[in-house]
Amino acid sequence: MALPKLQCITHALKNLSLLSHPDQRALVCVNQVRAMSRVKRRHTVPPFWLPKTTRTMYPEHMTPENEVFLKDVIEEKYSSPLKTECWERGTWAKNSMRCGLIGRKIGIYPMWTKDGTRLLTTLLQVSDNQVIKYIKPEDIVQGKRKRYRELGALVIGADHIDPRIVTKEYYSVFSEAGVMPKKKMSKFLITPNAKLSPGTPLYASHFQPGHYVDIAGITIDRGFQGVMKRWGFKGMPASHGVTKSHRRGGNIGSGGDKARVLLGTKMPGHMGRERRILRGLKVWRINTQHNVIWVHGPAVPGGVGSYVYIYDSVLPDHRHTQENHPPFPTCFQDEEEVEEELYDQELHTFREPSVQFVEK
Amino acid sequence: MNKGMSTPYNCAQHINQMMMERSVLAEVDGQVWDMHRPLEDNCTLRFLHFRQSDPYYANKAFWRSASVMLGAVLESSFKDNLYVELCSYPSPNVRSGSFVYDVDLKIPEWEPSKEELRTLSGEMVKLSLAAHRFERLEVDASVALKMFADNRFKTQQIPQMAAQSTSGNTVVVYRIGDFVEVSRGPMMAGTSHLGKVSIVAVHPIETNEAQLFRVQGVALPRGFLLNHFAYGVLEKRAQQMNSGRLPLNISSTEPQTQASTL
Repeated sequence: MALPKLQCITHALKNLSLLSHPDQRALVCVNQVRAMSRVKRRHTVPPFWLPKTTRTMYPEHMTPENEVFLKDVIEEKYSSPLKTECWERGTWAKNSMRCGLIGRKIGIYPMWTKDGTRLLTTLLQVSDNQVIKYIKPEDIVQGKRKRYRELGALVIGADHIDPRIVTKEYYSVFSEAGVMPKKKMSKFLITPNAKLSPGTPLYASHFQPGHYVDIAGITIDRGFQGVMKRWGFKGMPASHGVTKSHRRGGNIGSGGDKARVLLGTKMPGHMGRERRILRGLKVWRINTQHNVIWVHGPAVPGGVGSYVYIYDSVLPDHRHTQENHPPFPTCFQDEEEVEEELYDQELHTFREPSVQFVEK
Repeated sequence: MNKGMSTPYNCAQHINQMMMERSVLAEVDGQVWDMHRPLEDNCTLRFLHFRQSDPYYANKAFWRSASVMLGAVLESSFKDNLYVELCSYPSPNVRSGSFVYDVDLKIPEWEPSKEELRTLSGEMVKLSLAAHRFERLEVDASVALKMFADNRFKTQQIPQMAAQSTSGNTVVVYRIGDFVEVSRGPMMAGTSHLGKVSIVAVHPIETNEAQLFRVQGVALPRGFLLNHFAYGVLEKRAQQMNSGRLPLNISSTEPQTQASTL
């Protein structure tokens, strides 16, 4: 990584008797930062602008009748029989980007294809996903990366919490949308034709078997690990005179002109608890009643119970086309009937017979 | 204790700090009594507070005192060019969801913004933090008329209240800081008993004589903790027009609404 450009200003040193020449100036560096080969990858403290989710609990000494009443108020508030206001639904066009989902990794299970191949799949449950907010393209905070198409964003929330235990600031984020406060929120960049009105529920049927997804998640925290696990070093033999260096890193420099340890030298350190994206995972099966998605492989980042962010795949081989794009902007499960179990064509379902004998 | 000088508050001071701070009202021989009102004779004294099993009288006194504090805030909060005439407040009814004060602002309409309501709530909080005592005084009706000569509503109410009193020509006045109010019922010990408070709504009332405004608020006693969601439910309820009796116009012959029954 190139060193940041140092900005220096000339500072006139007045009233300094030590300097003989009046034209003498001092160069003062104003933006030097420590140059690191890697910037800090993990943040142990949340950013200052993020509102606290839960408030400090204190005893309120509420009567049981009042508790029951408040529960009824909450239920009534968030289960309105009225239809939520629906914006105009966009149609799929080339290079459209629709929002993703927030799921939870609930386990790993084997599946079999029709020719008998066994594969492992990860189960992701999509629970209580709702659109919180739509951010228009002009309101998006632009990063340094140049964008070649106009993108808006949708803020999606997952897993509701009791409005009484959240802070007022956090609660106000949801009061505009009229949805129950959520545990987890995420922003998904979308093309404006994929926008959805706040309060729209999102289900697992947003994706379809046979399509491919990218999954982002925080990897398992492995703690402080040595070079063998962290970087895959081979270590040294267990015997034959090896002194105290069975799992160590060995040499760390090349000497000579570069008489220092180079930046980025692989050494022991904290491993895991990082955001990683796994691309091009096939969706094998979807259960619409419990909102579970079966994706290919056991390697979805994170442990069981951790949150993952599921996107439509950006890989060129798995881009959507006019003929095979998923429901756009989402599958409105409340309006149209969806089958309970959706399987990929190649997948073997155990309800079907596996072997058939043909009588001659 | 000294007859005619010692108050239930002085008795509490002799007991312990908790009784001093917690007591809102006193019960003297079965009759509700202000904490800072001098005791007249030997009596059986009980202290009433908000956390007992049936705080009926304490709650009523709290609601009534909140109305009086609202009156104090309304009198001092408006710009100097506005002549604010406090009218009255209905008998306290906690179940109605809000405490109320009806005021004549002499402006055709007023729809307060959220910021203005927040300012009024802030003034109530300031009054609570100032920790004024509710000082009680029984005065002759003529003296009271001189005190409230600038308020046409009060000059109408005072003779009617005096006629209903036991002696026939006295009224009771209460003072918090610089504000004086004529009222019958007992008030809580001091303004510091007011905890969370919000002024939530202003409803216009049409009467024959004047266009009044019913200012409504809701409050909790100090020490009562409540989460923002539940308090929001209370605030929403308090925004509804209070069902308390509307103040009748000056030319009416019926007695004013100050007659509170305990």
